[in-house]
Amino acid sequence: MPVRVAENSAPSQVSGTNSGNTSPPACTLLSVGQAFSGTQNVSSLQKEEAWRVNVRIQGCDLEHGYLCGTMEALNVPMADTPIVVTFWEGEIVDTKNYTFYTGKWEASSEDDKRHWTKFPSFSPLLNQVEVDGGKSLDLSNYPYIFMRWKEQYFVNVGTDCGLTIAGFYYVCFSCSDGSINGFYYDPNSSPFQKLELISTNEGRSGFSFSSYELQ
Amino acid sequence: MPSATVNNHRPSELLSRLASSEPEVKLRALREVKNQIIGNRTKKLSFLKLGAVPAVAGILADSADDVIDCNNNNCNVNNNINNILVQSAAALGSFACGFDAGVQAVLDAGAFPNLLRLLSNSNEKVVDAGARALRMIYQSKLAPKYDFLQQKNMEFLISLLNSENENVSGLGASIITNSCETSLEQKALFDAGILRRLNSLLECGSLSQKDASLESLASIFKNNSEVVSKFAGPEIERPLGSIIDLLKDRYPRTRLLACMCLIVIRSTSPNLLQDIGIKSKLIHILIELLDDPGQVGDEAPFAFSSLIAQKEDLQKLALEANAIDKLHHHLQKGSLHPRRYEGILLALADMCSKLESCRSKFLSLQVLNLVTDALTVDSADVRTAACICLKSVTRSIKNLSAGYFINEMVVVPLVQLFLDPSTSVQVAALGAISNVVVDFTTHKCIFVQCGGMKQLVQLATSMESAVRSNALWALKNFVFLADNRLKESVFSELTASLLSSLICDPEPSVQEQALALVRNLVDGCINSVEFMFAEDGLILGAIGRQLQSTVKAEIGIQGMYALCNVASGNEFHKEAVMHQLFPQMVDKNQSFMINFLQSNDSQLRTATVWTIVNLTCRSSPGAFGRLVKLRNAGIVSQIKNMVNDPCVDVKVIKFMFWSFFFIFFFTFLINLISIFVEQLRVRTVLGQSMAFGDN
Repeated sequence: MPVRVAENSAPSQVSGTNSGNTSPPACTLLSVGQAFSGTQNVSSLQKEEAWRVNVRIQGCDLEHGYLCGTMEALNVPMADTPIVVTFWEGEIVDTKNYTFYTGKWEASSEDDKRHWTKFPSFSPLLNQVEVDGGKSLDLSNYPYIFMRWKEQYFVNVGTDCGLTIAGFYYVCFSCSDGSINGFYYDPNSSPFQKLELISTNEGRSGFSFSSYELQ
Repeated sequence: MPSATVNNHRPSELLSRLASSEPEVKLRALREVKNQIIGNRTKKLSFLKLGAVPAVAGILADSADDVIDCNNNNCNVNNNINNILVQSAAALGSFACGFDAGVQAVLDAGAFPNLLRLLSNSNEKVVDAGARALRMIYQSKLAPKYDFLQQKNMEFLISLLNSENENVSGLGASIITNSCETSLEQKALFDAGILRRLNSLLECGSLSQKDASLESLASIFKNNSEVVSKFAGPEIERPLGSIIDLLKDRYPRTRLLACMCLIVIRSTSPNLLQDIGIKSKLIHILIELLDDPGQVGDEAPFAFSSLIAQKEDLQKLALEANAIDKLHHHLQKGSLHPRRYEGILLALADMCSKLESCRSKFLSLQVLNLVTDALTVDSADVRTAACICLKSVTRSIKNLSAGYFINEMVVVPLVQLFLDPSTSVQVAALGAISNVVVDFTTHKCIFVQCGGMKQLVQLATSMESAVRSNALWALKNFVFLADNRLKESVFSELTASLLSSLICDPEPSVQEQALALVRNLVDGCINSVEFMFAEDGLILGAIGRQLQSTVKAEIGIQGMYALCNVASGNEFHKEAVMHQLFPQMVDKNQSFMINFLQSNDSQLRTATVWTIVNLTCRSSPGAFGRLVKLRNAGIVSQIKNMVNDPCVDVKVIKFMFWSFFFIFFFTFLINLISIFVEQLRVRTVLGQSMAFGDN
């Protein structure tokens, strides 16, 4: 019952400058080692199509608004291997390191708004984002974490595999149930390809957490 | 040439000349000893072994007495004595210069008080020689500590600093640099007005006075923001200005010392010297000083490190100033002095400690090859620094994910250092390998093939707790997301009994790493949970005992996550966890779970609630019974009290937990109703049958 956190889920505004801790909350389900699985809808006008997708978080640095991991696309048509693995890096919208405005990857502020508003949990933030890009929002208690995931390289196939990683994902993670929703943006691909993932427990009767620490 | 005959005497011969009753012979021998040992460590050592220091110290003591006795007698005698005093003081100073064994020998020979006596001699040259020798002694950590808190000592120090003689005032400054350590001493020196005098020496003193003042100012400022703020306050005209001016001094050593003094001020009072101009200036000067071929160039990278360590803004500026290119350039030169080699590696380590952009630059310049070369050099300090540098650059998750570091060039020399005779090298190598083995590709076998895994297990039993802890840290990272076969090989090497004894190690950091290793071992494939039940559940029991007794949150966190992962298994696993959480013998005590849920550490609260979530997972048949047990132990009401927990994660899990609770509550109600309905049905049937029977 996810939605209960509504009691204090409305984001507050940071008074004055952005001096306090506005980083999103640390969330165990979005920590290193956690796995997610689901689909990416790649339907076009010609045909309905969805690929199975697995994601694994490999690195998380909330202080720098950084997240990274791998994404496996299964049974991709035209691919030489049954699984195509890419490495991605994520920008966490914490209003300190990154705001809702992408400012790169061929995404205009209008593209940003068009994608963010696809997430119902973004609605309470829209007005403030329109004012200052959301810079004055305090997302530290907000039960959703907004991110951009950008695939950086193919792990198991060459760049000549006939696939592209030119675009990036607008992503919304729900701290309540560990689900991930996203929309792929690439001006040269079908718009609003939806990514839907849920936290997986890999055959266990509960949740398991491992971790590494860099020295 | 007259000097040829003087320089040809052997040390043993010179020593016998020192014992001569002829003042002239003695004087020439002293002069020759001094000349032979200047800047020559080997010569110093050979004279030291022959007992030259006590001999010279004896001459100094005898002559110091003589000068008092014949003070009012004829001048020629005094001149001879003064010459002997000057030469013996100079020889002792040379023995002490940059050579700790020499300092120790001078102190052991009892020369120190006699050198102090020379400062009150009426002859300027004698005073100068005495001050110079004492300065050499005060450059060593072995020098006797000066007590600034005694009034007469402070007065003496002030008199030294006020002296017109460069070496005497320099001695005063050296005494401060050597002995000023506590904040009380720093405050006493400030209150005595020492800083004003040092400041005036900075502005009007000679080169050596400026240098000595810069060093002593840094010791008075170090970690004492009160003194720094007073010094930077209005009481002193242009206080920092005089130090900043010296950044432009023509002498490299003065520029280096000015940088070091300003770095101390910056780190002590972070609100001072924050403008970008001064930051850039410090970076540029220190980079430029790397070019100095002497001691200044050797020390510059260390100063650079202290400037940028832990400071992202400065690392970014340094990157823009091409610091990595410059450091790389110096590293490429080869045949570096070990001190400089170490400094450059540590400076690179600090550059790459935080920013990915710096690591990218480092890797694109292929500095990695040069750093791995440094892993095999003779100097232990250089090997340690190379490991620290590798540790920094391998923090790049992007490159770890690409498997960039797990190759023979990096792994093999690091594994060889596991058996290094120096503990600091071992610890640093383990630190670097801890990062390298966080590999997300399938290359972890390289580490196993070169014997790294087996050696880590051996080092987990080392006598040094830092080695044990780091070895376990590396194993923990190694088994992170590893496949079950690899985990099995680690476990069979480690054994349940060793792992359980490490969980109960006397050193908390070892306990923490051992628990974190277990946590990772039992994650992933469900079969891995069985590791916990080897040797009659030795490990599980050790975790339970550790959690009962620990007061450290870090240990609680890792222990609870280990149990959480076991509790994500089957019914048998969940019950085994319950047994550890509620051992029968301590039933009367409050469960440690309550303490964990009340902890100030949100991670510990989170780990504990996740364990409860797994134990009450609705898909498991025994969940209801466990929930009842948790309620009876007061845990359910404790969770209820956490409604306003500021940690979002705990709140989220709590809601999941309550959802399970309500499901069970309704299941319980439905069960009651069905039992009631069943009883009713039975009664009806019975009633009916009785009625039928009656009939």
